[in-house]
Amino acid sequence: MIYLQLALEFFNIGLFSFGGGYATIPFLYHISEVYKWYSLDELTQMVAVASITPGPVGINVATYAGLKSAGILGSLIATTSEMLPSLILVIIVSKLLKKFSDNFYVKSIIETLKPISCALLTAVAIGLLKPSLGDIKAMILLVILLVISWKSKKDPLFYILISALIGVIVRTLI
Amino acid sequence: MSLFKLFLIFVKIGAILLGGGYVILPIMTNEFVEKRNLVTHDDMIDYFALSQSLPGIIAANISMFIGYKLRGKWGAITAMIGVTFVPFWCIVLLASVLGSLVNNSYVQGALWGVGVAVIALIILTVKEMWQKSNKNWYFYTIFVLTLGTLLVFKLSPIQTILLFTLLGVGYKRFAEVRK
Repeated sequence: MIYLQLALEFFNIGLFSFGGGYATIPFLYHISEVYKWYSLDELTQMVAVASITPGPVGINVATYAGLKSAGILGSLIATTSEMLPSLILVIIVSKLLKKFSDNFYVKSIIETLKPISCALLTAVAIGLLKPSLGDIKAMILLVILLVISWKSKKDPLFYILISALIGVIVRTLI
Repeated sequence: MSLFKLFLIFVKIGAILLGGGYVILPIMTNEFVEKRNLVTHDDMIDYFALSQSLPGIIAANISMFIGYKLRGKWGAITAMIGVTFVPFWCIVLLASVLGSLVNNSYVQGALWGVGVAVIALIILTVKEMWQKSNKNWYFYTIFVLTLGTLLVFKLSPIQTILLFTLLGVGYKRFAEVRK
């Protein structure tokens, strides 16, 4: 049963997430709330690990979430299900190519999905931020990271490794 | 090109694809346009643009477009399995190691920092989505309506997407017909 639920949930992610790997986070957040297969803390760990291992973040985090939910078979199902809609769409679109991007409905849907994905991710950011608001050290680190990114754009890898290092120092020494 | 060769190329790509979406295009271009001349540069740009306008994971979408172009349906499937091969086992391995270390105080410190980094990365992604979008009043309206609804009601992402896509596209159709 859990395998079927996993397959369905991750097929939906593949079909409805829009705008790259981090755009799948709102769905994973929702899964954690509904099914309790993993906690929100575990979700942030999964995103972090997915960002520092090779491969597309969106796929990696699906593999990890599947693993947490139902073991190695779960991760196989989650990963495959998430890519299945893309596979079908790529095959269809490859045949139509130009006609596809000129279609009125396709254009309107894409133009509408952009603000929706943006809002979904903003809501997740707010949801994750709320419990950390009381943690002064976390807020200081967050501001530092955002200021660094504002000065110059860095790879996700950079933020995660530097924060892990700062975390070790802050939590064990201070 | 044999399917096995195609598989090996995508295994390699999956293994060196590290750190976000910025590296996908240069890696794919190097492998399929410059080194092997299997795909034209224009095709590659098309695939990249299409992959971003399709749902799903961008890197996986591009891989499948190239796989399909080279060897049809089976090429697309081969690309999909190949590009996820190394990442899959990395995650499985790392997860089992991490699971046994989670009570270590250094690891806990690192995880605390990483939790903050993930929030920062999500905020940065929102910012990037925002910058890359064509911001007209339609964008602002849908954004505000969606976020407002999410903050008040508990909707799943799919309910949210279906509701506002129907509303938005319905509105666009209505405006088109009136013109």
